Amino acid sequence: MIPGEQATPAKAAAKYRSQLRIYVDILRVIQRENNQAKPTRILYGANLSHDRLLKYLDELKTLEVIQETGTDDKVYSLTQKGIEFLNNFRRVESFAGAFGFKI
Amino acid sequence: MEFIAFTIAIAVAYQALKGYRLSKERTLLYLNLSFVLLGAGLLIEGLSNLVVVLARFHRGFLILAPIGYTINFITQVLAYGVLIFTYVQQTRKMGVEVAMAAVPLLLFERNAFTELILIFLLAYIAIQTLINYSINKTTTSLLVLGAFVSLVLSHMFFLLFTLAPLFFAFAHIAQLFGFLLLLAMLLRVNQPT
Repeated sequence: MIPGEQATPAKAAAKYRSQLRIYVDILRVIQRENNQAKPTRILYGANLSHDRLLKYLDELKTLEVIQETGTDDKVYSLTQKGIEFLNNFRRVESFAGAFGFKI
Repeated sequence: MEFIAFTIAIAVAYQALKGYRLSKERTLLYLNLSFVLLGAGLLIEGLSNLVVVLARFHRGFLILAPIGYTINFITQVLAYGVLIFTYVQQTRKMGVEVAMAAVPLLLFERNAFTELILIFLLAYIAIQTLINYSINKTTTSLLVLGAFVSLVLSHMFFLLFTLAPLFFAFAHIAQLFGFLLLLAMLLRVNQPT
């Protein structure tokens, strides 16, 4: 988007959707790694570039759905809020999928 | 039976609204609108029939039955129309401008023409849910398929009701069964992991 351009609701919604999908992909990778995932595993699992991964990890930490431990070897794990978010998303995905709608 | 179906329709609408709040996905908002309309129609027809029965079919109250049916028919057409619009938009990604034609206000008794319209709309939705089930093969998509097939059957029975009164009971049973399948889907989706 051109800097200063006002996002239309449709564009904003599309952006939000893709962002939500990336959040879910990251959280699912962490969950799959027994809730102890290194950044490299998340990077490959969620199919993200390094810069974008750092950006999304920061956002997820701010949202308090993941937490970071370790200093040199950073490890990410889901918080209780993150686990609940994933469960809620699974329900919504399953509900929409029952009607044939993808989210 | 309408009241049970109304409760289930509102439960489905609520689940769709919860999903919309989480995902901001517009299809879930349309799904919510569709089931709110369905629920409203069922409630109005249920209440109007209840008043007619409670008034012991007094001549002054008999007008409520066609009014209730007409409102339920219109809300069903709108609800299934919204659902079809959502399926079409999902598959074709096309922008649709809906021009509402001026519809003369008529009161309908249950008749073959209105039932045929509902059968046609529901059959389209049932086919979409069949395609979805053939791709996903999940229990929840099977339950939704079963629900819409039951609703098609119920309106076929309402159509046959003009030939034999027995079909009226079959129609209500099929309608209730359809909504119970939707309830089963909701319970399955919300069961703890």
